[in-house]
Amino acid sequence: MASDALQKQVATKWQDSFNRLNRGYPGISGLMGFSEAWAIAADFLYPRELGDPPKDFNTQKVRSAFDVLIQCRMLPMLLESFVEDMRRRQHLITHDVMEFMAEYEASGDPDAIGRLILRLADWYMAWAPGGELGHTLSSAYIVNFQTHIFSILPPAFAGGFKRLIAATLALSTEPADAAGPSSVQDSKLWTSFELLGLADRYESLIASVCYEHIENHVLETCQGKWDEPMLSTLREWMADKVVPWMLLPYGRGAKTTEEARTMLQGVGSRFDFHVCKTLCDLRTKEIFDIIIDYPESSPALYDLKECLQRVDQRPQLVQALRKLNKRRLLHPGADTKDILTQYVSIIRCLRIIDPPGVLLFKVADPIRRYLRERPDTIRSIVASLVVDAESGDSLVDENEPIQPLQGPQVDDYMDPNWEPEPIDAGPEFRTNKPSDVISTLVSIYDSKDLFIKELQVLLAQRLLAIKDGNYEKERRNIEILKIRFGEAPLQVCEVMLKDMTDSRRIDQHVQSQTTSIMHPTIISRHFWPQLQSSKINMPGQLKDIQESYAREYTTFKPDKKLRWLSHLGSIHLDIELQDRTVTADVPPLEAAFIELFSEKDQWTVDELIARVGPVDRTTALKALLAWVDLGVLKEEEDSSFRLLEQADISGALRPSGSRVIMEDEPAVVSVQQQQAEQMKVFWKFIEGMLTNLGSLPLDRIQTMLKFAPGYDRTVDQLAAFMEAARREGLVTVREGMWKLNR
Amino acid sequence: MKVTVKRWHAIAQWQWDIGRTDEHGDAEEDVCGICRVPFEGCCPTCKVPGDDCPLIWGECSHVFHMHCLLKWIGTVASKQQCPMDRRPWVTAERKVTTNGS
Amino acid sequence: MSTVYTRRLSKELAEIQTETKPPIGIRLLKADDFETWIFEIEVLGDSLYRGERFGLKFRFDNSYPFSAPAVQFVVDSGMKAPVHPHVYTNGHICASILGDDWSPTLSVMAVCITIQSMLASCKRKELPEGNDTYVRTAPDNPKKTHFVYDDDTSPFPSNRV
Repeated sequence: MASDALQKQVATKWQDSFNRLNRGYPGISGLMGFSEAWAIAADFLYPRELGDPPKDFNTQKVRSAFDVLIQCRMLPMLLESFVEDMRRRQHLITHDVMEFMAEYEASGDPDAIGRLILRLADWYMAWAPGGELGHTLSSAYIVNFQTHIFSILPPAFAGGFKRLIAATLALSTEPADAAGPSSVQDSKLWTSFELLGLADRYESLIASVCYEHIENHVLETCQGKWDEPMLSTLREWMADKVVPWMLLPYGRGAKTTEEARTMLQGVGSRFDFHVCKTLCDLRTKEIFDIIIDYPESSPALYDLKECLQRVDQRPQLVQALRKLNKRRLLHPGADTKDILTQYVSIIRCLRIIDPPGVLLFKVADPIRRYLRERPDTIRSIVASLVVDAESGDSLVDENEPIQPLQGPQVDDYMDPNWEPEPIDAGPEFRTNKPSDVISTLVSIYDSKDLFIKELQVLLAQRLLAIKDGNYEKERRNIEILKIRFGEAPLQVCEVMLKDMTDSRRIDQHVQSQTTSIMHPTIISRHFWPQLQSSKINMPGQLKDIQESYAREYTTFKPDKKLRWLSHLGSIHLDIELQDRTVTADVPPLEAAFIELFSEKDQWTVDELIARVGPVDRTTALKALLAWVDLGVLKEEEDSSFRLLEQADISGALRPSGSRVIMEDEPAVVSVQQQQAEQMKVFWKFIEGMLTNLGSLPLDRIQTMLKFAPGYDRTVDQLAAFMEAARREGLVTVREGMWKLNR
Repeated sequence: MKVTVKRWHAIAQWQWDIGRTDEHGDAEEDVCGICRVPFEGCCPTCKVPGDDCPLIWGECSHVFHMHCLLKWIGTVASKQQCPMDRRPWVTAERKVTTNGS
Repeated sequence: MSTVYTRRLSKELAEIQTETKPPIGIRLLKADDFETWIFEIEVLGDSLYRGERFGLKFRFDNSYPFSAPAVQFVVDSGMKAPVHPHVYTNGHICASILGDDWSPTLSVMAVCITIQSMLASCKRKELPEGNDTYVRTAPDNPKKTHFVYDDDTSPFPSNRV
């Protein structure tokens, strides 16, 4: 029922097709020719089984067959039929893929993947139409082939492919253990990747293999290895081992070495960055222990410095170190000495990494604040200031020149070498020109007076302990300290030393008049730190010795007299008993007690105390037990002590002979005790001030206290003190004004 | 038993003997009326106490750091009087060795 | 800072603020430095100045304590000098211990107490003779004036030259 028009249209179409295929040849000979050409072309393109013998095609004939088809404008049709054929024959490839994947999944061996890829390349070559047939055909083929392949490759393939790449890289970097799979070594492998489009499709995967490889290598070779420079070794390794491999994925198609180098430049720099970043991460993680190991670990620090120039991870380093310090250093269990030692190492190490000191400033802040809170920090620093040949564990490097303390420095813009602060320096950053370690430690505190006081205490302890009159070491110490702290603050120490010299001179004179077994150190009371006062009365011959010496002294110095600090010093004595003689070097209190035993054989503790004077029971007992230890006294049940004229053999054998004096309590009052004492004095000031002036703001109290002799607290310390006073109900505060609570 | 003392390393403080017997010594310390520094300290211009900064006794029995007194006597306003009692200053012949500078 | 005179003054200040509190009627108003201190003086008990408060200003220099501090009453918008035969209306005081009778063993507090008792013992509230003339020509620093003492404000027995 088609209309005429329709019939006519169909007829015209048919005529057109016929004309196109027959191409104006007589009859249907053109059509026949077309049919033949189609057959040849289709047969040529037909996707064959790999095992089949290749058909013997006449290139000329195939070429002309294609020409005919092009003339007939039937190439698209041919292409369609070719694609359809490929689809129909795809099972052949699928079969192979399944087989190899099954093998891979069973063995986990990337070699299976490698062989699969080579096999796929074979399929690709076998089915490829050949480039001489025109771009359209070959590009259509590539797209279709790859689409097919990617559609049949199972998800496990990506993992296998990654392992294969890793294997090729391992082969390149560690050829030693290259009993690797054969397909991995196959030079065709990378061309196959290219052919199959795997190189492009898995580009990021290939890069990640390389990144991971670098990471593993850095961890393996560099972890814990701080005593030699590793970055240069790593870079050599990259150049020798990794770059040759990189030529495969990244230098594809390069014709000359020059060209390859250009192609590798970008990616090479990315990988070098990764080397630096990985090493930087590792060293950041290890930084605390690297610092502990300093100076052995300095190569690691130089590496880190170089890495940080390439990779900006300074904030991470600061954060990591602060965290580590907090966890491993700034806790109650750590010894102040250890904290100081580590702080000094941190100073030295961070100066290597970052000479301008920005990192140090950021890391040091919490340490300094923590140290400031610790009561024994100053004592520890001071102990390290005073060179002691025996202990030798000084914070100060002996090679470091002794120099005056340096205060915070102000930028000198006239300095031709002036440089702006680094960009990550915070607003509070103070240019910390490489000052010496001691200056840095002392600057933890706002005032160096505290150090001077602690120094005086330490020096006093050491001077008073000297028995042989040799204080040259202390003199040298003071000379060094004068360089650091200046002459004026050490003036009292000078007086202390002078007292030592004078004592010796006076003693020489006294001895020349009347020989005495006593050799006192005579001190100027206001120039020595507060000494623990205790007025014990020496009994018997001991008192005689004191008195006769004091007399001789007054004869020599008519306007002066001596006041004995009887509890200080030491006495060397022999105790002759019926069956033995005991020799001992003891504190005066012990000597006083034993002297009393020459009056009678048995004493109670209270009797002894009554004779000797103000001594607390514990101290007295300790002194008596020292004699018990020497086997001279025996403790009786009624808390009295009896002299053992004959050795008590029934008891445990006592180590006999001489005994070294135990210095348990320092004679000199520590700075801490002094401070508590002083704060009481300052309270009186504050009380007086507030009585007279009503209410005052904190800074005003601070200003006024500055006139108080010896006041050296910071306003923060004062605030803490006032707060304590408020808790005790002594003062009240309203809107910053302090008032006595009445 | 017999105790024989072989050697005694003792510690003592020196004090000026200003004629006052306060054998329970720790009590109030005497200070120079001029500088208000203890006698056993030194006058504000000295750095070393003792023989280098000696005391001076007046016949009026008042005692000062020698340097403090000499400085006072050196002023016109002093009229050569003891700062304590305004009597003409006469140095006592007591123990003092006034050859210090 | 730590010169001879500041050392002595800081000791005095310490005493004022702690150990020996000032006697009743004497109160420290200002001692922020070692140049100028101000005390409030009030005469308690039965006296001509009952209920009045005066400011006593001390000025020191480094000759202290070998020479007296410059001492005068504060005269400003809020405060007036006491009407007293030895006190000029500009605050200057004619007292021997501030001049000829000064001794280095005296102290700031001793001066305060002397001035307080000078007021307490006053029998007649009247201005010094020639007050107007003096005030017109007086130097800023009262120490530059040579006073002739006609009353005994000296802490010493009468052995003046």
